[in-house]
Amino acid sequence: MLTTDKVTVKFGGLTAVNQVSVHVEAHRITGLIGPNGAGKTTFFNCISGVYRPNSGSVIFEGNHIEGKKPYQVNRAGISRTYQIINLFKKMNVLENVLVGMHPRLKSGYLSDMFRTPSQRREEKAAYERAYEWLKFVDLQDHALDPAGSLSYGKQRLLEIARSLASTPKLILLDEPAAGMNSKEKEELDELLKRILELGVTVLMVEHDMKLVMGICHYLNVLSEGKLLAKGTPSEIQNNPDVIQAYLGGE
Amino acid sequence: MQKSLANNSLGKKLIAPIAILLALGMPLYVRGAEYPLMLACIIQLYVVAVSGLDILFGYCGQISLGHAAFYAIGAYGSAILHNNFGLPILFTMFVAATLAALVGAVLAIPASKLVFHFLSLATVAFGEIVYQFIVHSPGGITKDFNGIFSARLSIFGFEFSTYRLWYYFGLACVIVFLTAKYFLVHSKTGRAFTAIRENSHAANGMGINVRKYKVMAFATSAFYTAFAGAMYIHLVGYVHPDTFLRKQSVLFLTMLLFGGTGSLTGPILGVISVELLIESLRVLQDYQGFVYGILLLIVIVALPGGLFGGFKNVWNLLAGRLGKRRGGAGAC
Repeated sequence: MLTTDKVTVKFGGLTAVNQVSVHVEAHRITGLIGPNGAGKTTFFNCISGVYRPNSGSVIFEGNHIEGKKPYQVNRAGISRTYQIINLFKKMNVLENVLVGMHPRLKSGYLSDMFRTPSQRREEKAAYERAYEWLKFVDLQDHALDPAGSLSYGKQRLLEIARSLASTPKLILLDEPAAGMNSKEKEELDELLKRILELGVTVLMVEHDMKLVMGICHYLNVLSEGKLLAKGTPSEIQNNPDVIQAYLGGE
Repeated sequence: MQKSLANNSLGKKLIAPIAILLALGMPLYVRGAEYPLMLACIIQLYVVAVSGLDILFGYCGQISLGHAAFYAIGAYGSAILHNNFGLPILFTMFVAATLAALVGAVLAIPASKLVFHFLSLATVAFGEIVYQFIVHSPGGITKDFNGIFSARLSIFGFEFSTYRLWYYFGLACVIVFLTAKYFLVHSKTGRAFTAIRENSHAANGMGINVRKYKVMAFATSAFYTAFAGAMYIHLVGYVHPDTFLRKQSVLFLTMLLFGGTGSLTGPILGVISVELLIESLRVLQDYQGFVYGILLLIVIVALPGGLFGGFKNVWNLLAGRLGKRRGGAGAC
């Protein structure tokens, strides 16, 4: 579904991502792990169009998407969440999800301004669908609260709902479990399975090894910008290079 | 259930029609007095102008210190089209406002890359360019410092010869423009504007073409303010270049900030209070900039949400107290 070929990103003299080639299989949860500073988020930003890779290519469903702008990547069918929560804080929870639906709504400037019958119908349906997405992540009771007032864990869930609302084929989750308590993590685990059931492929960066090893079908390990290893969770757990990168020493 | 999600409580829905009813009756209360009526007409056109600025600044988060330029394009554009080509006035008002919207869009294409003080500097420069254009009047088109005269408003031969008649035209404009603003900000387009204000990176990531929507916000805002300018010239019948100095842009922004951004009511409150204040302080005319400065300071220090935000806080506080008391009584 998604293939990167020797993607390299440099910031001045620093090579943050060095010739990374990974493959994301459709209808699977693929994990991207690695120590802090390994370049995981930079790599994500490359896929989602925030950065343009210095070299290498990103191919999504047969099309090159490297160098496209974030909104174009989103329209191609890749949606994402952010490591640092990036919600629209003063908008309410429901409106955040509605913004996520933006690329799928057809109304334009004039039909919005004159509130034509077709625009009205679309909006009504959009509100209902947005509410369904809130139910999907169990935030329906907070629909009218400002997004900024939610707890940290709930804000993460809202980020997921907002990016699912654009009905992506692939969703990139950047540390979805960060800041969640253990109960919320269990719920996230179950939510990820339901996302997969929707037919959405998942690529996620995550530090919580219990979660990652339990749910990912396939793992890629980054260290110091390079792809250190790839394989199934059990292969990765027994890989001496990975153990060394995480634990250090000889 | 879904209805209630669309953030329309009954109270909110009622406020606008009640205000409109009161406004409709206004000429009856002041029967015979010309001055308050003229003031009311000016307030109406300022409401249109400042509501336009609110779409850009309050909703989309893009500052403009050059809106006097759009105001000027509307006024001069409509007057020149009417005087030189004999086109009917309502038509020239729309043409001039559309022209201003195009100019706004052209300005916004490069300016959409700028943020904060860089954007405000660019818009100050734009205001200055338009002012210089009017003053130097290439080809004598704007008659430089002589200013230009134009006819009072007439539609299909019906002349709005008194302030009282013009008042109803102004009221119709306010209703139409505020309704369009309401529709726009509560739609996909308006949500995109607000998303850009709140977090433009995330907006981009959610599939919003940020530049395109900034251009739309600029163009819409320019249309509103220019239309207000056209209303102005066909109310007063004369414009002078000095109406469009930078202090006019500052006045618009002061009204918006003082009333409260990002709402329908805020600009109305801001225009009425600031205009009445300025009128009652006529003796201090030379110190207008000083008055604006004080008003802005009050807003920044004491009333971050403007008058409307302040009213809302007081209302919520009272409602909260009342709710508690009722809750307490219920428990007994």
